[in-house]
Amino acid sequence: MFRKTVLLGISVASVLAMGSAQAKTIRIAEHRPARIDALKKVVPEIEKKYNVQIEVIEYPAPEKDYLTKLLTELGAGNAPDIFTAPHGSDVADMVAAGYLAPITKELKAWDGYSQLFDVGKVMATSQDGQIYVLPAMLNVQQLYYRRDILEKAGISTEQPRTWAELLDRAKEIKAKTGAYGLLFPAGVTWGDGAFVEGFRLLLVGTSTPQIVTENGKLNLTGQGIKDVFGFYADLINNDLMPIQPLLEPEPWVAPKYEMFPAGKLVVTTGGSWGYIYDWGAQSKNPIPNVTQVVGTWEVPGKTEGQYVLVDLESPWAVNAKSPDVALAKKVMLELGSVNADVAYAQNLGNIPGRVDAAADPDFQKLTELVPILTALKNGTGTHLNTAEGFSAVAEGVARGTEALLRKQTDAAGAQKILVDYVKEVLGGDAVK
Amino acid sequence: MTTYDKRSSWQLQLLLLPCLLLIGALVIYPALYSVYLSLTNASLVGVAATHPRFVGPGNYLRLFGDGGFWHSLVVTLWFVLGSAVIGQFLLGLGSALLLRRPLRFKNLINSIILLPNAVPEVVAGYIWISMLAGGEQSTLNRLLGLLGIPSVQWLERFPLVMIIVANTWRGIASAMILMMAGLSAVPPEICEAARIDGASPRQIFRFITLPLIMPTIFLYMLVSTVTTISIFGFIYALTRGGPGNATEIIGIYIYNQSFTAFQLGYGSAVAVVTLVISIAIGLFYVRALKVQV
Repeated sequence: MFRKTVLLGISVASVLAMGSAQAKTIRIAEHRPARIDALKKVVPEIEKKYNVQIEVIEYPAPEKDYLTKLLTELGAGNAPDIFTAPHGSDVADMVAAGYLAPITKELKAWDGYSQLFDVGKVMATSQDGQIYVLPAMLNVQQLYYRRDILEKAGISTEQPRTWAELLDRAKEIKAKTGAYGLLFPAGVTWGDGAFVEGFRLLLVGTSTPQIVTENGKLNLTGQGIKDVFGFYADLINNDLMPIQPLLEPEPWVAPKYEMFPAGKLVVTTGGSWGYIYDWGAQSKNPIPNVTQVVGTWEVPGKTEGQYVLVDLESPWAVNAKSPDVALAKKVMLELGSVNADVAYAQNLGNIPGRVDAAADPDFQKLTELVPILTALKNGTGTHLNTAEGFSAVAEGVARGTEALLRKQTDAAGAQKILVDYVKEVLGGDAVK
Repeated sequence: MTTYDKRSSWQLQLLLLPCLLLIGALVIYPALYSVYLSLTNASLVGVAATHPRFVGPGNYLRLFGDGGFWHSLVVTLWFVLGSAVIGQFLLGLGSALLLRRPLRFKNLINSIILLPNAVPEVVAGYIWISMLAGGEQSTLNRLLGLLGIPSVQWLERFPLVMIIVANTWRGIASAMILMMAGLSAVPPEICEAARIDGASPRQIFRFITLPLIMPTIFLYMLVSTVTTISIFGFIYALTRGGPGNATEIIGIYIYNQSFTAFQLGYGSAVAVVTLVISIAIGLFYVRALKVQV
């Protein structure tokens, strides 16, 4: 009997010892194959460094669906330990909900902190002064144009200096080539894209470039917003922008992946990812010699100024309800390493959020991205301040631009759709 | 009641217990929780995500003044009427009558009718996108092109009609199976007697078959109306409620309020009202038409 008891005790102790020696598991949410492949490049190194097992959980690919699933799980309390917010504009709403663990202390003590771009640090800092996300990658957006087509048609490739010049250029393209002259994402099915890849690029060049007031309210009744809707209306009413594809279920496919490579659309908004993910040699829709054939313009302001919009690209965050927040934070900071940044840049074409990535030999091979990072180092780039409620603003802009696409309203009507929607969702108090 | 009866009664109740627990956990509790959520400003983002506030009937009051809600109800009405009540029923009944006759390739026809039910709803949605997409490459436009008919933007020009057609296609099989069951219960000797008395096939159908399968028809109407009101995945995959909100049936409207605008409280209020409407329709079929189900 005594022997049996001793044996049982030893067995239980062995099992417990094995359990405690086993690596802890950290779950990371990621979506889209290119992003998942990039993440998997750096996972083994992190696992080894912290004796941790990392489980990469694949989420739905369209960002709207990704965000919905993520928020639902965060609300239910069973979300992964680490995840990304699709855009910088989503962060404030997630912070207000208490989903994100603050990382201010850990980030500032991290050896990579001094290498982060200042603009990234500014955008990552919330209104309460805390930092909740790691600005590991940046997206840099401007206008992309088909240089080869413009030159062949004898159309100027000079930087347009005002909205009027940009519109005139689009009209000239339509008249001389028959192709659409300009695309700004719009409509409900594009999801956040109508706002983050279109509307805000114009907004920063208006008389009311910021919509967050000092007390955190949203000012949506400014002249700038009306002017941007007016610019959309001009594009649509003059048939300068493809409309039909934007009303279909996957509105980005035809214009960005078919019409632009085929030269049926000559100018479009886009980000640095265009050179790699959208039209690069390894993409599904390659444009031969893409860096020579496709040029960039900064987005002109309404009457003056030129803007390159910078935003946090899928910043990493730690789930406030993670069973091991401290370990999750350590793992997350590794996702801001040069290796991780370069892996994502290689697969997606976004810009690393840290200055020292420029010296990395693998990054140097991404000749399309090197000048953009250099320009960022030299201070190029402007950004839009965000606040709680930006998710509703993005959806309201999508609805307003959809009404314009369907020619159901004018600029003032679209602005009213935006204001009414945001008030309906957030309450009248949230809107100035 | 004898001891044996009492014991049997207890055993029966015990056997029902797992079902009751499952129904309670998976149907009753979520429904009651939805009612609770509908009385709050619960959200998936912002402060209301962690600290929802009780707003009483606020969501319901807002709902009655919400044009988007009424629009989605009207869209749903046409969708249910067009696809379930008319399209699926007529084609299902027609298929059932057809397949009762001796036919060549009967099994093939049967399989073709049943096939849509074997396809997952999202896949079916993408199949119809491929069929109806704008431009010259869509299946339908290519077929019409062979006849010299120019391309049509089907989902843009006729969105509601197109989702009615697609959902009719998807539901014919269910209607047909129920109608076949109903038709098989019609005693053949009655039809035979009518035929001997000189009744035409049309008269036999009108005055004998149809009245006898009426309970089956009402049962089908009840089931198909309620299930069509709750459709989501198929239409979401096909149009996402667009263009604009032209195909925003109530299921998509609830989703958009809850998971696009992230307003769980308001979305729940719409869901509760939809539940009440479904119950009312069910009672209408069961009681007003005095059909034993």
